[in-house]
Amino acid sequence: MKYRTKVNIERTIVYFILFIITIICIVPIWLLLVNSTRSTPEIQSGISFLPSNNLLVNYRVLAGRGLNIWRAVGNSFFISVFSTLFGVYFSVMTAYGLKVYHFKGKKFLNNFILILVLVPMQTSIIGFYQYMSKLHLLNSYIPLIVPAAAAAPTVFFAIQYLDAIIIKDLIHAARIDGCSEFMIFQKVMLPIATPGMFTLAIFGFVASWNNFFIPFILISKMEKYTLPMLVQSLRGDVYKTELGGIYLGLAMSIFPILVVYSFFAKSIVSGIAMGAVKE
Amino acid sequence: MKRNSSINKNSSGYFFVLPFIIIFLIFGFWPLVNTFRLSFTDTILMSRKFKYVGLDNFVHIFKDPSFIKAFKNTAYIWILNFIPQIGLAMLFSVWFTSKKLKLKGVGLFRTLFYLPNVLMPAAIAALFASLFDFYGPANQLLVRLGIFSEGMMFFRNPSFSQALVIYIQWFMWFGQTIIILMAGMTSISGDFYESAMIDGANSGQMFRKITLPMLRPVMVYTLVTSLVGGMQMFDIPFMLTDGRGAPNGSIMTANVFMYLKYSSNKGHIGLASTVGVTIFIITSIVALAIFKILKDPDDIEKNKRK
Repeated sequence: MKYRTKVNIERTIVYFILFIITIICIVPIWLLLVNSTRSTPEIQSGISFLPSNNLLVNYRVLAGRGLNIWRAVGNSFFISVFSTLFGVYFSVMTAYGLKVYHFKGKKFLNNFILILVLVPMQTSIIGFYQYMSKLHLLNSYIPLIVPAAAAAPTVFFAIQYLDAIIIKDLIHAARIDGCSEFMIFQKVMLPIATPGMFTLAIFGFVASWNNFFIPFILISKMEKYTLPMLVQSLRGDVYKTELGGIYLGLAMSIFPILVVYSFFAKSIVSGIAMGAVKE
Repeated sequence: MKRNSSINKNSSGYFFVLPFIIIFLIFGFWPLVNTFRLSFTDTILMSRKFKYVGLDNFVHIFKDPSFIKAFKNTAYIWILNFIPQIGLAMLFSVWFTSKKLKLKGVGLFRTLFYLPNVLMPAAIAALFASLFDFYGPANQLLVRLGIFSEGMMFFRNPSFSQALVIYIQWFMWFGQTIIILMAGMTSISGDFYESAMIDGANSGQMFRKITLPMLRPVMVYTLVTSLVGGMQMFDIPFMLTDGRGAPNGSIMTANVFMYLKYSSNKGHIGLASTVGVTIFIITSIVALAIFKILKDPDDIEKNKRK
């Protein structure tokens, strides 16, 4: 009995601390969303946790000052979708090649990818920029989409995942049926790997959607701006006093991810653990 | 006959990894080589002419007090966000996996703690900048509660600005660390704890003698990935204030410094590359050192016992 009371007290304290941390996580995001519905004077008069009715006015401010938010949404969406498709497909393909076949240099490539996971692209951004400018690919989306196909972290995750699901017998049976190696990958492997590819796709999409640094370096034409770049220019002079409009812009840039997250949080959380713990 | 066909099949492995290799060579490897090459030149954006200057750029940035400061800031901000991050994650993971507490809603808590990580850093920076604006809600609250007699210029205060960047980094990453540590803890076999319990070990002893040593690989993973990411810190410090590390260069990180060299009037991309290469080398050395020091716990233990 005494032990039980002690545990109960401990549990209550733990819940209380978890509750406080939950508040810390949610309140800033909630304030951001609420403020997108409040007028600038309302926002300036203090915090409110309840939405107001100024959303449309804010939208008119946001849309009416030369920054085209829908264009930026479209641009970001385009880049995120295609870099995700590219990245997931080729990463699984690479992982499949490394898992199923034994060829010279395979071990080297395997280890090399492991090292690459720790080399972020940002370190070589200047060399990347100069090279892209020589190829006349500045202000193009190619350097933002195509490199996703050679993203080591994605390949690394794909290898971990395929480890668990490759069925050698199935591949063998398909071979006996006369399937070409590529068709086996396409028709046998990909359908089995769909759940894992979906998790990879969510990660890819979120990372691309939020990416600021690389597009910021490569893109200078206003009409090619991505959403994070637009968020950055929102803080410029034109909008300085229009807090409602600014907040709406911020809300619009995080809203799609909030929706995605609320649906797929489970696979995201299990995906993170997948990379870290390998037995 | 059979052998031959299997060799043929194996060579199609090349076909599957070829796209990766080609795209990596073009968009990954060559830019990296190019960055190293540029770091030995005086290349500027405005001119096609350049010459190799040996290690001059490296000497130059190491003599530049703003680079030293930017580098120190980056390390400082990273360390001060990492320590509470790993500490809290450890505590929470122990709670979440505790058989004694049997907490409910663990999945929901984890999901909510991880949420800040998926949100756009640009938007988070803009949000916190406005929360701590002179006319913003933080000041209003503090004045109304009588803690401040008048509003504070938060972003004129270097220590506060650094603390805010540290806080935001923590806010964005502690959820991820919890998930990883927890996965590590649940993967430890229950047998260890059972036999320890039979031997009469208490929970503190079990944590120190079983959980911590078994968690070592996961901790090394967390430490190294966080270090690599932390040394690249850009979005938050760049967007929180003026993009030049204000106030007083206190939140200028190495990557912000690199960006400023690149975006300067003439566009010193030679120097900017040197900054990138320097961060790259230092990060690699530290990461390798961490692996070396922490990787073989058994060897270290054995040596100690001798």
